Amino acid sequence: MQSVNQYFLNIYIAIKSVLIGMSITFRHLFTKSVTVQYPRERLPIPGTSRNLLLNKIEDCIGCDQCVRVCPVNCITMDTIKVFPEDDLGLASDGSKKRLWLPRFDIDMAKCCYCGLCTYPCPTECLIMTDEYEYATYERNDLVFKFTDLDPIQIAELKEKDHIRSMEKEKKKLETAKQAAAKPGKNGGKSGEGT
Amino acid sequence: MIQAEYYNIFVKIIDQLAVLDFLPPVWKFILASVIAALVFFHVIAIFALVAIWVERKVAGHIQDRLGPMETGWHGVLQTLADAIKLLIKEDIIAGGIDRRLFVLAPVIVFMTALAVFVVFPVGENFIVSDLNIGILYIVAISTLVVPGIIMAGWSSNNKWSLFGAMRSAAQIVSYEVPVGLAIVCAVMAAGSLSMQTIVESQAGGFWNWFIFSKFPFGFIAFFIYFVASLAEINRTPFDLPEAESEIVAGYMTEYSGMRWSFFFLAEYGNMLAVGAIATTLFLGGWQTPISLLSFIPGPVWFTAKTMFLVFVHIWLRWTLPRLRVDQLMYMCWKVLTPFAFVSIFGIGLWMTF
Amino acid sequence: MIGKDIIFIIFAVITVGSAALVVFSKKIIYAAFSLMLSLFGVAALFVFLNADFLAAVQVIVYVGGILVLILFGVLLTVKISSDNVISHLSQRIWGSIAAVGMFVLIFIAITRTNWTILDKSEDVVYYPQSEAIGIQLLTNYILPFEVASILLLAALIGAMFLVRPENK
Ligand code: SF4
Ligand code: SF4
Repeated sequence: MQSVNQYFLNIYIAIKSVLIGMSITFRHLFTKSVTVQYPRERLPIPGTSRNLLLNKIEDCIGCDQCVRVCPVNCITMDTIKVFPEDDLGLASDGSKKRLWLPRFDIDMAKCCYCGLCTYPCPTECLIMTDEYEYATYERNDLVFKFTDLDPIQIAELKEKDHIRSMEKEKKKLETAKQAAAKPGKNGGKSGEGT
Repeated sequence: MIQAEYYNIFVKIIDQLAVLDFLPPVWKFILASVIAALVFFHVIAIFALVAIWVERKVAGHIQDRLGPMETGWHGVLQTLADAIKLLIKEDIIAGGIDRRLFVLAPVIVFMTALAVFVVFPVGENFIVSDLNIGILYIVAISTLVVPGIIMAGWSSNNKWSLFGAMRSAAQIVSYEVPVGLAIVCAVMAAGSLSMQTIVESQAGGFWNWFIFSKFPFGFIAFFIYFVASLAEINRTPFDLPEAESEIVAGYMTEYSGMRWSFFFLAEYGNMLAVGAIATTLFLGGWQTPISLLSFIPGPVWFTAKTMFLVFVHIWLRWTLPRLRVDQLMYMCWKVLTPFAFVSIFGIGLWMTF
Repeated sequence: MIGKDIIFIIFAVITVGSAALVVFSKKIIYAAFSLMLSLFGVAALFVFLNADFLAAVQVIVYVGGILVLILFGVLLTVKISSDNVISHLSQRIWGSIAAVGMFVLIFIAITRTNWTILDKSEDVVYYPQSEAIGIQLLTNYILPFEVASILLLAALIGAMFLVRPENK
């Protein structure tokens, strides 16, 4: 008798629970859906989120701190010291810009979005933007170039820098020669011979 | 010569056409059959297109999502896009399979789904062939699907396929028993095997439909038929043969592209067929529920009732989790079959007194 | 009625051809599936004889029941895809005895039956006989019908007894 009762009870419970389930799903059929239709609507992203990096290059003083702190070495920077005739002006925090930046590349394919590079930046020019859709077809396109100099300018600067370093080298050599010449005539004479 | 007198709408239509008078009757009959097959192929294909979209939308909204939204208005063209994708996909036939059976299996499965449509009484004069053994014909044709499924599972030379085929065959064979018994209930109440006669004997308001008129036996029989047919066409919660989480996709694992889409079409065709059978047997077919509404033509009622049952299929699918094999067999043999016998007995008594 | 004859010949060829395939096929699974085609062909021939009820029952019982059982058996055999399934000699002897016996039985049945030859010139309209079969089964042939059902019941009980857990 017990098991017979159990049998009918089972059937009753089964039918009841199926009906309850169906009523729940039926109600959900008409509740508002939670889907955000992404490309057209998007959720606001929180202010502290880390996305694409941006360097406001006119503020960058080339201090190299971000390059050194990056754990995956994805920032590459070349610098050229200003020439006496150049005046690059001041960065927004008032510090003087002493370097040309022919190259400031961030490889976003390598970047792990740790954000460590943004903290030490003294002029706060390296920042995280809101941009997170920058998929590309080529991996090379993920290397973002921030320099504001055009290639001709860069070539000129490099040339100039080369000349300057050559001159410097010459000067160094000369001073070295003079230094060598000063202590005694013997040493100088032997050097002249070579 | 021997000529069985069955009403056949396509033959009637072709007889009316004077241009075709030069054809002998047999060729007219063959022409009518070909046309009927084409018509029902398109009925299934279009139904599948719509039903898959509805299923996705219902699934989405039940889960508080939106479902397809991008292709066309609210994603109506999504299935069409998918169908085109399937058609132009590469037809992969893996190595080590039995090629002949592999190619034949989807054809058999789809053929059975298509052949059932011949006897559905869509309207008062709208039936392809009002066979005297209509409902028996349906039962006979739907048994043919089992060898087809075993063929697909065996020829794929893949253990998931074989397991799926075995499960599917076992399930269909077991659930044929309650399905058959529930059908017998309706046949007893109508006193005929012909689909059109079964519908006609339910005339005059919804209280004459077998689901209500032989209360509670008719209702039990309808319920049993509905549940068991759900199992017979392998829909959730009885979709063990295709259980993705256990056996990949069952007997369809190795199929892709066009051949796979034939299995899929057959599944939706079966859904439509099962809904139409339940409508015919228990819900009065094309009869209007109350005579006030009789200005609406029969085919509309038939389609509406069938679509409602299909909607319930979809609704159930997104409500219930999958059953375990032993639960499946428990339900078939220990619950549905005894109750089916009870309702046969009850209707038998009812018809006698 | 050339069209009808053509259809008849097609089905006859299907039936006999696939029956031959059952016997001669080396792969056991092909034999099983050809059996399906053969049984289906027989059902089609029943339709030609206007025995539509019999045709439907033929498909339900043989294809839906017996063939599926055979297929299950075939799927569970070990050497399923081996090419040579050769029976033992003793089986051959018993097999031929059974085949010859069957042939004689059917031959006697065919010769003894009182066939009516139809007059081809007139149109004979056949009416379905499922009702007649039902009435016959429950009046004239009630005894064989009941015996068959008792046999089935015994088989059911036997099957249940066999699968019972031992310790109960
Ligand atoms: S976010 Fe981290 S990984 Fe990316 S550039 Fe900055 S320091 Fe490097
Ligand atoms: S830390 Fe800031 S200022 Fe210094 S090099 Fe990097 S970006 Fe430029």
